[in-house]
Amino acid sequence: MENANLILCAVTAAALDICALVLIFAAYREKSTAKKRWARISSNMELVEPGATYPLGCDEVLIGRHASADIRIPDLSVSRYHAMMTVSDGVWTIKDMGSRSGVYVNGVLVKEAKLRENDIINLGSRRLIFRRRRDKHEK
Amino acid sequence: MKSNPFAYVISGLFVLLAHCAMLANILYNGNYEQIGDVWSLAAAVLGLDLAWAILMPFFRQHTHTVDFILILILNMSLIFQSCFGGVHLSVKHMITCIAALIASRIGFLVCRDHNWIARQKKLIWIGIGLVMIVILLFTGSRSMWIDMGSFTIQPSELLKPLLVMACATSVAEQQKKHKLLWFNVVWENLILLGITAAICLLQWWCRDLGSIPTFAGIYAAGFFMRICYPKAKFSKKTLIGAGIAVLVIAGIGIKLAPAYVRDRLFVDIWSDKTGNGYQQSQALIAIADGGWFGKGPGKGFLHNVFAYESDIVFSTISEEWGLLFALMMIFILLLMLAVPLINPPRSYYHGTLAAGVCAAFTVQMALNIFGSCNMIPFTGVTIPFISMGGTSMVTSGLMAGMLIASQSPSFGKLPAKKKRPSARPAVRKGAGA
Amino acid sequence: MKSIKRTQRIITLFLLLFITGMAALVIKIQRESPFYMMNSDKHELGMVYDRNGEVIFDGSGKTQFPEGSLIDLGNLIGDDKGQMSNTLVAQNIDKLNNYSFNAGLVKEGGKAAIYTTLDHYADRAVYNAYMGAKGCAVAYNYKTGEILVCTSLPNIDVTKGYEGIADFETGTLISKALYGTVPGSTQKVSTVITALEIMGADKLFSKSFTCTGHYTNKNGDVIDCHNTSGHGEQNIQQAVENSCNPFFAQLVADPDMPLNSIKKVYSRLGYAVNGEEEQYIDIDGIQCERASTTLVDSNDFNTQWACIGQGETLVSPIQLMMWQSAIANGTGKMTMPHIIDRVTDVYGEVSELSKTTYSKQLFSEDTASTMRQILLTNGANHYSGSIPGYTLGIKSGTAQVKNGDEDNSLLVGFVDDPRHPIAFCVLLEDRYSTPVTSEQIVSAMLNAICN
Repeated sequence: MENANLILCAVTAAALDICALVLIFAAYREKSTAKKRWARISSNMELVEPGATYPLGCDEVLIGRHASADIRIPDLSVSRYHAMMTVSDGVWTIKDMGSRSGVYVNGVLVKEAKLRENDIINLGSRRLIFRRRRDKHEK
Repeated sequence: MKSNPFAYVISGLFVLLAHCAMLANILYNGNYEQIGDVWSLAAAVLGLDLAWAILMPFFRQHTHTVDFILILILNMSLIFQSCFGGVHLSVKHMITCIAALIASRIGFLVCRDHNWIARQKKLIWIGIGLVMIVILLFTGSRSMWIDMGSFTIQPSELLKPLLVMACATSVAEQQKKHKLLWFNVVWENLILLGITAAICLLQWWCRDLGSIPTFAGIYAAGFFMRICYPKAKFSKKTLIGAGIAVLVIAGIGIKLAPAYVRDRLFVDIWSDKTGNGYQQSQALIAIADGGWFGKGPGKGFLHNVFAYESDIVFSTISEEWGLLFALMMIFILLLMLAVPLINPPRSYYHGTLAAGVCAAFTVQMALNIFGSCNMIPFTGVTIPFISMGGTSMVTSGLMAGMLIASQSPSFGKLPAKKKRPSARPAVRKGAGA
Repeated sequence: MKSIKRTQRIITLFLLLFITGMAALVIKIQRESPFYMMNSDKHELGMVYDRNGEVIFDGSGKTQFPEGSLIDLGNLIGDDKGQMSNTLVAQNIDKLNNYSFNAGLVKEGGKAAIYTTLDHYADRAVYNAYMGAKGCAVAYNYKTGEILVCTSLPNIDVTKGYEGIADFETGTLISKALYGTVPGSTQKVSTVITALEIMGADKLFSKSFTCTGHYTNKNGDVIDCHNTSGHGEQNIQQAVENSCNPFFAQLVADPDMPLNSIKKVYSRLGYAVNGEEEQYIDIDGIQCERASTTLVDSNDFNTQWACIGQGETLVSPIQLMMWQSAIANGTGKMTMPHIIDRVTDVYGEVSELSKTTYSKQLFSEDTASTMRQILLTNGANHYSGSIPGYTLGIKSGTAQVKNGDEDNSLLVGFVDDPRHPIAFCVLLEDRYSTPVTSEQIVSAMLNAICN
């Protein structure tokens, strides 16, 4: 009787353990789903400059020279906190964060602008292209 | 569900399996007089599982892990609470469980779109103010309960999800700096600090000291997230200053604490086994007596001790189900909080929601478990979802809803594609329950 | 993206803090659960054994002990009734419980036990040797620290319970070896050690004082000698052998013995001087009182008597015995006594094993060897007849108690024999009305231990 009790306890605990494992597994499955969904939310865009590709993996992407920036451009002509990109309704917006050299979209100085595919963004002496993500990395 | 049917079905099946194993344990090990009690409990638990699994796809969300963990925990809790001192379905707890599930839906719908909720920011502040006024007017200075005839509610609990929301909605304001004397300040940060301080003072006034660390924890999580926000530019000086301020306030707090609080801070429970230390010493003895595998559902002794179903619930579960199972229950709760580590929130707003909920839950669990086990002062705090208590269950449900929202965020309308765009969340007022 | 990473870090921080706390909790419960269980009403106590495997306490109450067979140990070993608190069982009851967190409470066949270092046969022999007189005797191995004998009279047979507790004689429920008593002339050992520490052997041996049967100190108080006709002029060796009070009074008043130095050495020896906070010597949870004394002024009557062994000086017999170990070892460090040899858990596996530990340096090795020689000479000259068969270093003492109505007899000493490294202290109360002498008790004790 004592043994049966113990075995049953162990089985219950094991069932809960397996359930926890399955849930972790499910969470990982859903991670890829969430990634795909993010691709839809963000219209699957990215920023590109010669030699580098910057993914837009979350909302409120900070572009600048500071170490804490999401997209870090180590160039003295770029301010430490230069610009921030946000997404809403599937449209990305770029916002100047009080940079010294300003933000130019297709050659026009802007404080805040909605971006369209293949827009060219100038930050200081750097030139970034806002474009749809290619599936494989191209160099 | 549509996006990941396989994971959905498998998760649901294994949740059912885990509950079945627990019910089998009760059937063979439990302490019941009529077998019908076990069947009614089984029907309630499994019915709730199935209903949840069927209803969930009607909400437009694309991740369900947190939902499944939520139903797993809630039904475990229902089973635990129904078994204390003898098996019979606890209808009261079942109703609060259903209320928690509904609250989680509300929380999800309210919180998933940060642009929408950011516009309702003032409503949240007004909500906090209203709840505080209600506390001031109705609970009285030495109590935290409002008596509503057949049941009581604890309005201060409602402040927890509201504070999380307030923290989350103001995180994006970090660049709107204003000059105040010789400081650059962000108005919303000051407002938030003021709200937190006001809540803490109010809790002090109500002598609900146990919940102050919870609010402090939520605020700390929000504070860390604000520091991280682009161009928040918190200097090291500010940080050190804030740290010192916290220490000084804590020191003054302990100095000024009323005598009965200090008695609680430094109590030797073993020399006062029948007086002040009764609950804790019995709780520890119960854990020791239960061992790893417990005495069997319903066969414990601790259900004779006051607050067995809320304040010292960890020990009660430990005694009847074993420390191993109690630890695993905690593990499942932690798993729910850890889901954002696997599937990250994609904005500071949703991140703050996740971090705030994590802070609130871990602080509450820590206060309850470590307090009842005499590692820290004993306060009457509940373990989310496990302890009995309607208000606590509903607010925990709301916060679980926020976790779900951080998992299935909405960033406005989806760009038109093959699929139809997801509708705006139905506008519902605040978090009331 | 950084926002994702930072969120995750904050969540991880909270979770890790909580998990750390949980781990600490589990470890705490694992370690302290035997203590928790002892605070409930559910116990299954195990056995206490003596060094030869004889049961001297059975927590289950199933063993039938022969009538009065445990009478010599009652107030040292104690029981679980809660009547006596400073006993082996009462202080170590959680080790005796057949409980562990992993095994739970084992009702049948649990093997939790305490194996003591006591020699019940010898202990009983010593108890019998008192022939009904009161007092206490304690002996231990000064190399290892194992307590072999520790009995106290009157005593209680715990198997019979506490019926008629109101009529028990005073001192029945405490082991007298653990509590302070007036040391009498055994205090002179400490005073000689102090003199050796302050002025060194050569200077001390060069000093001589005259005893005329009494000594009038500078304050005009008279200190009597037990030999009313006086010992004449003596050096330190003779004074120790004669146990001459005027000699020691003059030694304390000597300008080469400043009072502050005396206080310093006394403190090092472990005395609580002039109402310092008294601490306890911990012997496996059993608390043993430390020595205490009052030293005010070198020419003060009470101060001089304090150094001779009357006045306000109180020393526990175990403390007296421990000083002997520091002398006998020749190191100036006491061997700390222990009474538990090993503890076994529910499964019978050894969970605690005793170790020999030493005190800090009380006095120098030179002092120890000189003192050792003085005591050995004393033993050879005066005790080879009354305690035959052993090379003894020994010092006697007579303590006046109850305002001089009773004289207690004390003997402290050690056996200088590598096969039987025994240090002991025997206290015989009211020596003039008892059929035995303390020498006979020591003799019986050594015979019982060594054979």
